Order: sequence, then C-alpha cells, then structure tokens
Amino acid sequence: MKRLWMGVRKRLRGAGELLAKIWAHRQGKVGLIMVTLLVLVAIFAPYIAPYNPYDVSQRTTKGLPPSWQHPLGTTINTGQDIFSMLVYGTRVSLIVGVTSGVCIAIVGSILGVAAGYLGGAVDTLIMRIVDIMLVIPTLPLVIVLTNVLGRDFWIIILIFVALGWTGLARTIRSLVLVLKNTNYVKAAELAGASRWHIMIRHILPGTSHLVIMSTALSSAGIMVAEAGLSFLGLGDPTAISWGKMLAEAQSGGALLFGAWWWIFAPGLGIFLAVFGFMRVGLVLEEIANPRMKRTSSVYKLFRSLDSSYVEEVFRSMDDYQRIGVEGVSSGGGQSRGTGLEA
Amino acid sequence: MKLSYVIKRVLYSLFVFAVVITLNFFIPRIGVEDPAERYYPPQGNMSEIEYEIVKQLTREQYGFHVSTWQQFLNYLKGLAQGDLGTSFRPGSPKVLDLIKERLPWTLVLSVSTMLIGLIVGVLFGVVAAVKRGRWQDTLLLNASTVMVALPSFFIALVLSFYLGFEWEIFPAYTDSTMVSEFAWTWEGISRVARNAALPVMSMMVGSIISYAQGTRNAVIAVTNEDFVLTARAKGLKRSTIRYKHILRNSLLPIVTSLGMSISGLIGGQVVIEQVFNWNGMGTLFLEANQTNDYPLMMGIMLLLSGFTILSILLTDLVYVLLDPRVTVGDKR
Amino acid sequence: MGEGRAVEQVLKLRNLKVVFPTDYGLIRAVEGVDLDIYHRECVALVGESGCGKSVTSQAVMRLLDSPPALIRMDVLEFDGRDLTQCTEAEMQEIRGKELAMIFQDAMTSLNPVMTVGNQIDEMYRRHYGDSKQAAREKTVHALELIGIPEPKERANSFPHQLSGGMRQRVLLAMAFACMPKLIIADEPTTALDVTIQAQVLKTLRGMQRGCGTSLLLVTHDLSVVAKMADRVYVMYAGKIVEKAPVKELFTNPHHPYTVGLMAAVPRLTDEKKKFTQIPGTVPSPVHKPSGCYFHPRCEYATERCRREMPRLEPMGRDRQVRCFHPLGVGGKSSD
Repeated sequence: MKRLWMGVRKRLRGAGELLAKIWAHRQGKVGLIMVTLLVLVAIFAPYIAPYNPYDVSQRTTKGLPPSWQHPLGTTINTGQDIFSMLVYGTRVSLIVGVTSGVCIAIVGSILGVAAGYLGGAVDTLIMRIVDIMLVIPTLPLVIVLTNVLGRDFWIIILIFVALGWTGLARTIRSLVLVLKNTNYVKAAELAGASRWHIMIRHILPGTSHLVIMSTALSSAGIMVAEAGLSFLGLGDPTAISWGKMLAEAQSGGALLFGAWWWIFAPGLGIFLAVFGFMRVGLVLEEIANPRMKRTSSVYKLFRSLDSSYVEEVFRSMDDYQRIGVEGVSSGGGQSRGTGLEA
Repeated sequence: MKLSYVIKRVLYSLFVFAVVITLNFFIPRIGVEDPAERYYPPQGNMSEIEYEIVKQLTREQYGFHVSTWQQFLNYLKGLAQGDLGTSFRPGSPKVLDLIKERLPWTLVLSVSTMLIGLIVGVLFGVVAAVKRGRWQDTLLLNASTVMVALPSFFIALVLSFYLGFEWEIFPAYTDSTMVSEFAWTWEGISRVARNAALPVMSMMVGSIISYAQGTRNAVIAVTNEDFVLTARAKGLKRSTIRYKHILRNSLLPIVTSLGMSISGLIGGQVVIEQVFNWNGMGTLFLEANQTNDYPLMMGIMLLLSGFTILSILLTDLVYVLLDPRVTVGDKR
Repeated sequence: MGEGRAVEQVLKLRNLKVVFPTDYGLIRAVEGVDLDIYHRECVALVGESGCGKSVTSQAVMRLLDSPPALIRMDVLEFDGRDLTQCTEAEMQEIRGKELAMIFQDAMTSLNPVMTVGNQIDEMYRRHYGDSKQAAREKTVHALELIGIPEPKERANSFPHQLSGGMRQRVLLAMAFACMPKLIIADEPTTALDVTIQAQVLKTLRGMQRGCGTSLLLVTHDLSVVAKMADRVYVMYAGKIVEKAPVKELFTNPHHPYTVGLMAAVPRLTDEKKKFTQIPGTVPSPVHKPSGCYFHPRCEYATERCRREMPRLEPMGRDRQVRCFHPLGVGGKSSD
C-alpha cells in the first residue's frame, strides 16, 4: 500500500515539475492561462453565464446587438443570449476535445508500445491497420459512422478516438524501437523481467513526454473537428456547441442582417480553445526535444547580447605577451599581467 | 533492383485497396440486415402486407434480396466493371454518373487553391528561409500558429459576411445559373470565377501557409547540411549554391507533400462547399448522408480512398525516381 | 617568428578568438590562436575533438557565420592579402581557387543529387570560366590523377555509388582542382578504414608535393601527424599549448598534454605497458577551469597552475610551450 502511495507521490511531483517548466516558458504561460480559464469557464458555466440558453423562458428579444444586458447580443432566430451560449459551448468543446485527446493518448500509446516492443505479428497487424485507416478520408468516414452508429455525444467521442489514435501509435512505435535498445531495457530483459513488466515500468514512462504533448495537440485538433461536424449539423443535436452556433448564425440570417457578433463570438471561442491547447502542446514539444526549438531564437539571443560583456570575454583570452610583439593588441583595451583567468 | 521495390509497393497498395473495399461494403451494414432499412418510404396508409411488398420490390431493385455474401460478390463484380452502385435517389441514377456530374466543380475549387497555395506558398517559404530570424520568418511562424486555430469555415463566414454581404464584391451563395447555364464562353467562365472567389479565398490562406511552412523548413534543413558548407568552401557564387544545391535538395519534401495533397483534390473541402452551397462532391456527399443514400455515400468513399492509395503510391515511386539515394528497401 | 626564413609565408593568423553565445552560456571555442604556414609545408593542428580546431579552420576560410559565432582576429593574411578586409564576393573568388578545404565526412559533404563529375566540373566552370566540355575533360584528368579507376564513367556516378575511399578522393580532387596555395584538410581520413586511410594519405601527400601546395592538416590522430606533417601545433580547450617541428615533438615533447597524447597511442613494440589514458575529460567549452586549462588532468600541476594561465613561451628553435613546468627541458624531466 505504501509503495502505491510513494508511486503516486512521485508522479504528482513529476507533474508539478512539468507544469513549472511550462510556466517558465514565455509562451507556455500564455497557453496555461488560456487552458485554465477555459476549464474554469466550462466547469462553472452556470455561474458565469447570465442566462441559461437551454431555458426557453429566458429567451428574449431576437436579434439584439451587443449591449450591457447582452454582451454579445442575442440570436436572430430564437432570442437566446449569445454570451451565455458561448459559455455553455465551452463545456461541449472541452469535454469532447479533452476526453478524446486523453483516450487517444491511452489507446495510441498502448498500441504503439505493443507494436514497437513486441514486434512481429503484433507489429505488422497494428501497422497495417494504421495504413488502412490513413487511406480513408477522415471527415467522410466520420459522417458515415455518425449516420450508422448515431449522433450521441459519447458515440462521437468514440468515433474520434477510433480514427485518431493512428498518428500517435506510429510516433510512439518509432520511439519504442529506439528505447528497446537502451541499456537499461536490455539489462531488465537479461534479469528475466517479464515482457509486461518491461513495457509498463520501463518503456511506457520513456514515452510519457510524447504522450502528454500528444494529448494537448490532439485535443486541439479534435476541437476543430468537432466544430466542423456540428457546423454541418451532424453533431449532437441537444448540445450547444460553437460549431452549431456558427451554422445557426448562417442559417438564421446573421450574414443578411449584419449580426457580426453572432459570427465572431463562436469563432473566437474556437480560436481561443484551440490556440490555448496548441500552445501548451508546442511548448511541451520544445521541452521534450530542445533541438526542435525554433532556431530564430539564436538571432534573438544575438540581439540581446551585452556587448561590453562580450568584449570583456574576448579581452580575457589575450596572452599579455602580445603587447608590443607583433600585430596590434585586440580592439578594446590592453590586458595586463593581472588580467588573467579567474 | 528498383523494380522489386516498385512491385512490392504496388502489391501492398492493392492489398490495402482490397481491405478498403471490404470495409466499404460492410460499414453501412453495421447493425442492420438490410442497408435499405433506413431508406424505405414511410408506411403511411399501406397495410402490413402492402408495405412488405414495397420493401421486397425495393430490395430486389437494389439487389439486397440475396444473401450478404452474394451481395458482396455482386458488388465486387460491379466494381470490376467500373460500376460503383446505384443511388437511392428518385430515378435510380448510377453513382458514377452523379459523381461525374459534380466532380469537375470540386476540382475547380481544389485545383485553384492548390495552385495558388503552391506558387505563393513556396515563394514565401523560400523568402522566410533566406531571411531566417527576421520579420518575414516571424510573420510566417505567427501566421501558421494562428491559422491552425481558425477553422476554414469560420474564415469562410467572415469573408462571406464582409466581401459577400456588406460590400457585395463577390456572391456569398453560389448562383445556381453557374451550373445550369454553363458554357465555355467568357460569360460562363467569369460567372464561375466570381462564384469561386470566396470559397477559394477561404481555403487559400491555409494552403499557402502550409506550403510556405514546409518549404521553409526544408530549405533551412538543407542549408544546414554539410554539402552546402562544401559548396561555400568551393567559392561558388551564392546564386549557384541556392539553386543547384539548396533548392534541388529541398524539392524532395515539397514534392512529397504535393503528392499527398493530390488526394484531397477530388474530395475537396466538404465544409466550405456547404457554406457557399457549391455544387460539388462535398455537397453531394452531404446530400447522400441526409437521405441515407448508402450506395452514393459509399461510392464516393471508395473513390476517395482509392484515389488516396493511388496518390500515395505515385508519390512514393516519384520520390524513388527523384532521390538517387533511395534504391532498394522499404522505408518502413 | 624570428627564424629568418626566406621562404614566402602563405598564411599568417594572429590572435583568433571565436565565441558562440547559446542559451547555456558563452561557448569559448577558440581563445587567441596564432598560426604560421609557409610555402610547400605541411602543418598539423592536433587536438581532441571539441578543442576548437575545426572552428579555427573554418574561421581561416571565413566560413563561420556571424550569427551564430562571434569572431575576432588581429591578423589574417593569406598570400600577402589581408583577408579581414575582403568582401564576401572577393572571398568567393579566393575560396576554392587559392584557398581550399577538404572535409571529414565525404558522404555528407557531397551533394547527393549531383554526380561527382558535375561537382568537380563546378570548380573549373566557376573559377576558370570553362565550358562544360572543357571542365569535364579536366575533371576526368583530375580523377585519374587522384587514383580513381575508369574516371570517365565514374564521373557520372552519384556519391552514394562510390566507396568511402573514392568519395574522399573526390573531395581531394575538388580541393586540388585549381591548384590552390593552401589546402585545409579537416580530419580527412577519420571516417575511413585504416587501410584506406593509408592510401588516401599517400595520395594527399603526393598531390601536395606535386602541386606545391601548403597543407594545414587538422586531426586528432598522431599517426597521421607523424606521416605527413613538417610542423605541429597542439591545441587544447581553445588554446595552442605547444608548437614544434614534427620530429622534435615526437622525440621530446614538452607539454604534459602532448606527452599524455603520445602515451595514449599504443605501439606494436610496447611490451606489457598498460593502456595509459589521460585521466579526466576535456573541459566543457562553457565552463573552463581556472588557471591553466589542463591543470585538473595534469599530474605535475602546482598551485600556480591552478591560479594563472601560462602564456606561450619560446623554448628552443622554432618551439613554443604554454606551461609553467614544461617537461623534457634540461633539469625538469618527466618520469
């Protein structure tokens, strides 16, 4: 029992360190703030939204432009408060996005590790499935599956997960192929550890940074996909989602009557959610793989150099004997006998 | 040497295609004995017996009255003859005919977008790579992070709002006369162009940025290679180095991504077509979905999948041709 | 240098300093290096990897870009010309034609999608303005000289179709194509098998003597130095620590690091001698030790070595050492 607790504590500490690293990153701060805000909005939606868009009695005058009572105006067709719809819409996007992202991470990493480590028939089978799924166009397939299986909220999540695990599985498999040959794995094999044990205790943790990064990025991607699906009218009919808001805006005549607020509100929502998660995901990628850093940082580094410090460094390299021998002493002053290495 | 690789790849593609065909056949049959189950007209005033007769006649019309296995064989036989099935629509048109009618319209949009994206994107990508670290590069970087988060249909609505409704520069909904009165005249073509403007503009930004990003990364990666240093040590002029050494080697990844995007050409962008009510494959698919027209839906899916397999195969083979380093061996 | 050489000087480098700013700190790659190279001689620049020798060679050709490097030098004279005053266009004229470089890894140093023939043709077309045919004739001739069989057919091969040794010879051919005054060879044989190494070195020496080029050989391999060099510079952690003519360096090394390098090379004639390795590791280019950079690994280090950086002192004819307690100098001996 105690061992389990120690394990959990270690994981939490690791998670805390990771969060701190993300926070330290300039862009990571922005991403974390956005994601946290979104999560809070989603959880506390009923408290944040001034009106309940599901409650028919709370509907009012149709087609109002933004005002104090209705910060983002009301819809033209039903007179619902758009701001409240935006707030409640956060729930749908986040739940679908994050749940799918997490499930994709789980399925993808399990299959990726299995394929990479176990090799042979398992590997071939899994990779063939990946190849086949890659060939079928995703949006049409999602549409067909919603048609055949239903448009319930959870079925949609299931469909997204079923189609989305392939990319992660491939990446993880490549990583596992490398990890397989590291010394500590080989040592564990020699020591007689079972394959399960090795996969769970040694290989899986080695992929953790990739998995976390993928969760963030897939969540972002799924949110866009979900928006597109609801926009087409094929999402869950009972939920308020940003994509559906956009569809209603178009069909409800926002374009015709110039109700720009109705169009920009859900668009802004989608943008903030996707952008926030992508930021976190990209920062995680940089943390995991420092070489992937945008090389333009070298240029920024150059611009921010303290030139007097640089000159001092150069000066400190001089052999003081050079003075008066041949050539000129390096620009920036002459070093004396005491100008030596610290 | 190379031939065995080609044969291997072709066989593999055929295998994938076979699996896709099978999946394609069975997906609409999930959970139901009879895929037309959801299509039958409502019973209405008919008695039980009459309704059964109507259903049976429909089944026979579409070949669903035989066993599933027999249906599968018939399906395969049809495919071999180029028959993608018969649509449930009134008049029972052939799926292939419906596709043939709508495909060119989708191509108008997708090919235009791809061309613009390719030309402008590659140019911009090269500039960003050469001016690495300066504002052109940073602009590209910021643009791509923003673009990922902005779905194309949102851009479509915004463009449609301002350019279409407010300022009335381009039509926001596709003019139906574009198709019905189409002719290869100046009038006909310009009508198409005017209607296509907004959809293409919505898709174009994403396409440009994607090609630009890919080109930039490829050029920078090649510039950091050893042989470019050798070229500089040889005292070659910068222009020589750029064109003969850097660009030639950067082409490979660009060609690969180009090849991959070819398959997207015929599917087009379903959502964009919906926004503008454009008469293409995307809207055809959505119509099929709304009426539970399975033969049509699955026919389109099969075509798209087949095309994707083909484009992947071709891209792989072209890559082998272009890059003399890849001789034998699967890169998997 | 004070030896009264009447021979013309091909390269004169004074006080080269190169620094790379990174997120982890300032990398001090080269700290005040001087080099002299005279006509028709082969000079070796020896040191372990990471000591800054490759950076030095690239700096001489002015191939180091200013981001990411920061470069300072007092003097860089090539064949009498002040290279620090040359524009990039002028440098492009000089590079390849009068000052050439041979890189370490021939596989990655050659353009994979161009035939080797085209890559050598480039030299003639660029620097002599030759036509395609004229250049190709010269290329085939060059390949023949360099020892590649069937040169005419081989010229149409791609780099990956050739063996390692042949690829390296192609690099040699490219470097010698315009008969430059100085060739810098950066670890030209490191990536090759020992037997191929010997052949390539033989070819290199033959070409060098035949064309009258000077050679700056950058390497970590002492056996290469013994075979090829006339004079040697030993480099450690960005600084030159010893300079000597080759024979004297091998028979009577002064700097403890040089002694350590020699001892680390096993010789077939050694009997029962243990593998001596210099203890410790090369200092990180960001955090260098105080005083003499070698002191943490030196068994003769004193308190002074920990506090002060020794300077290069002349030590006999054409020799210099950077050490407070050089070995093998009358009175102070190594055991």
